Amino acid sequence: MNGSGRRMVTKAALLLVCYAFYAIFDLRGLIILIAVSLFSYASGRFIISSPGIQRKRIAAALFASALVGVLCFFKYVSSSLPVGISFYMLMAISFIIDCMRGEFEELPDVIDVLIFVSFFPTILSGPILKAKDFIPQINERKRLDNARLTRALWLIAIGLFMKLAMADRLSLAVDTVYAAPAAYSGATLFMTSVAYSLQLFFDFAGYSNIAIGAACFLGFDIPANFNLPYMATNPSEFWSRWHISLSSWLRDYVYIPLGGNRKGSVRTYMNIMLVMTVSGLWHGNTVNFLLWGIGHGIGQLIYRIVRGTRKDAPAKAVRILSMILNFLFVNFLWIPFRCPTLSDTWTVIRRIFTFAEGASYFYVYTFIFGFILLAVQFMGAKRHKGNDPLRPLPFDRLYARVIFCMLIIATAMFAYFGNGAFIYSQF
Amino acid sequence: MHGLYILKKLFGWLAAAVIAAAICNLSCFLFYDPCQELTRTKGSTTGYLLPDSHGVYGLEGYCRASVDSFGYVNRPLERSDEYYVAAGASHTEGLFIPEGLRYTDLLNDMLYDDGKLHIINIGKSGNYYSVVLQHLDGILGEFPDAKGLIIETDSLCYDTKALYDSMAQAGYDPGETAASLMSDLTSRQKLVIKAKQALPLLRLIRKQYFTYMEADEEEGGSDILDPAFWQSEYNGDFETALDDLMKFIRSRTDKQIIILYHPAVAIEADGSMKVLTNNAEPYYEKICRANDIDFVDMTDAFMCAYEEDHVIPYGFCNTAPGQGHVNRAAHKMMADKLYEVIR
Repeated sequence: MNGSGRRMVTKAALLLVCYAFYAIFDLRGLIILIAVSLFSYASGRFIISSPGIQRKRIAAALFASALVGVLCFFKYVSSSLPVGISFYMLMAISFIIDCMRGEFEELPDVIDVLIFVSFFPTILSGPILKAKDFIPQINERKRLDNARLTRALWLIAIGLFMKLAMADRLSLAVDTVYAAPAAYSGATLFMTSVAYSLQLFFDFAGYSNIAIGAACFLGFDIPANFNLPYMATNPSEFWSRWHISLSSWLRDYVYIPLGGNRKGSVRTYMNIMLVMTVSGLWHGNTVNFLLWGIGHGIGQLIYRIVRGTRKDAPAKAVRILSMILNFLFVNFLWIPFRCPTLSDTWTVIRRIFTFAEGASYFYVYTFIFGFILLAVQFMGAKRHKGNDPLRPLPFDRLYARVIFCMLIIATAMFAYFGNGAFIYSQF
Repeated sequence: MHGLYILKKLFGWLAAAVIAAAICNLSCFLFYDPCQELTRTKGSTTGYLLPDSHGVYGLEGYCRASVDSFGYVNRPLERSDEYYVAAGASHTEGLFIPEGLRYTDLLNDMLYDDGKLHIINIGKSGNYYSVVLQHLDGILGEFPDAKGLIIETDSLCYDTKALYDSMAQAGYDPGETAASLMSDLTSRQKLVIKAKQALPLLRLIRKQYFTYMEADEEEGGSDILDPAFWQSEYNGDFETALDDLMKFIRSRTDKQIIILYHPAVAIEADGSMKVLTNNAEPYYEKICRANDIDFVDMTDAFMCAYEEDHVIPYGFCNTAPGQGHVNRAAHKMMADKLYEVIR
């Protein structure tokens, strides 16, 4: 078999694995996944073969709108939501728009598009891949050398620990308190909201690490999805650190096409509000998600207005204070994000702000995991200019192997076996 | 040359795994180093803990427990000649509550101030109400001079058949006390115990595995409180069976018998606390009274503590409120209630 034949077989095997993996979670949804993949391929083919940028734009707008319509149908009308549809729909749309923008010199193979849309490490909860970044990698997959294997193993191990030992353990307290917020004191509800902020981060960042690690193992490079988001000093910076793949997708495919910040202040503010509202609606079909998105939009507007045109870096004390205030702001907005109804949201907020009496419950792991995150953030601030300091340690050193083995054993020791579903897989 | 390289790599990883496991094992001594359990058939309980040992329990609450020379979880105090025996499952064993704060310890200190052990705690994980009753002869055989017996339970969900089954006695063999069983241990058995004591990590991983398997099985939910089932029980021979059981207990001894019932609770969405019950309390109250047995029901005390002081009787700061075992506050309430009855 020649090189191209071998590559074809490898790609077919990868596609089969992707579909088999998806079928484990949602066999019926597989049909929709394949249909969406084929539709986006056909759309891309049509757009690339269309003459003139105007026609390409109109076609792309039509095809992307069709996919948005299907997504809206499943999210807001249908009673069942196919697994991962919110993620792979955005990826399919990115393929259509990238075709329109001329990001591909020639139309990619149909199998490449199918792999891209259904790529198994990312299909359940992202990171959301962009076609222009991922599809070229399918035919130029990197060899699994020592450095790549080391990185993949560390990412998967750290991700598993974050998910099983940290996020799932925090879910016990969060689920219990949010099931009956009227029973608990204001202080308890506040600390539980902090626990949820931590849970969501460890859950989603943990999953992202596992996905990026698995992709790395297969020879693909996927950029980080989180970068110490609770270190952000303002709402705009938060979105450059939290769910980076969604933020950059919204920036590239919604914010910039709307004009971004190039058309004056008022238009910029409107664009920000629109993007954050879309982000809220993408997460779910309740008023709570809408409020959450609008809240983040308003936060960014206020920050931009207050900051004005100042470019100077604030003093360290001001930065720390901003970090705390921004965390409180983000933490506050996670309340509607977590509560199932508006009435529950109101109950939680009212009880926190009125220091309501009720059962006291301060979950010890909120403090332990909060402290660990603070320590990592401190390390990031001190030595890595505010970026994630966790780097894969080389396995040729004994201490690195010991730490790696300890991480695996610690995951087995502290894993919590209760509610283990990935939070973001429900969106 | 290549083989040597692989061997060197493998050895490096093996050494790393051993060092990592040793460090994790050491850390276990701080939060999970349970006492060794040994089983028996004809005793006051289905098993006992390794006599004169200590254990650390930090997965639910936090406690460092001492085991006395009889294999029970009691403070290192001299046994008094005037004593009560408290039997029950893990709630009584109290391996989640620091020593001195378990209901048996509190009651001991409330009733007597001579520094001796008057409330002997023979609580054993898994020795539920029906198991305790099956070991009634064993308890009376091992503690013939007890002034009374406290039988703790968190559930009254025992149907007619279970009530009759409870009367089947396991019997008592004086050779099955912890002291004599320990002296019969072979060197191999002693070595296994020593090895297990040295490796709490393995026990924690094993526990995690079983928790995982149980969590998988429990996904279907439980219908233990199904009202239709219990209504049909109460319309049948349940009352007669309960009366037969209480008469059976009374026929074995004329000592004071106290059934301590502390129902499980659930916090409702509206903020209220609900008692999880099969509504058997009135039957127990009536039939216990008729047979001169004290039935101590913690329902009112729990409800009152929640409504007045927002105290939830179950759960710890490292688990969830309303779940798992009774906490310090509930142990205090149970001790207060028992004090009223015994005094």
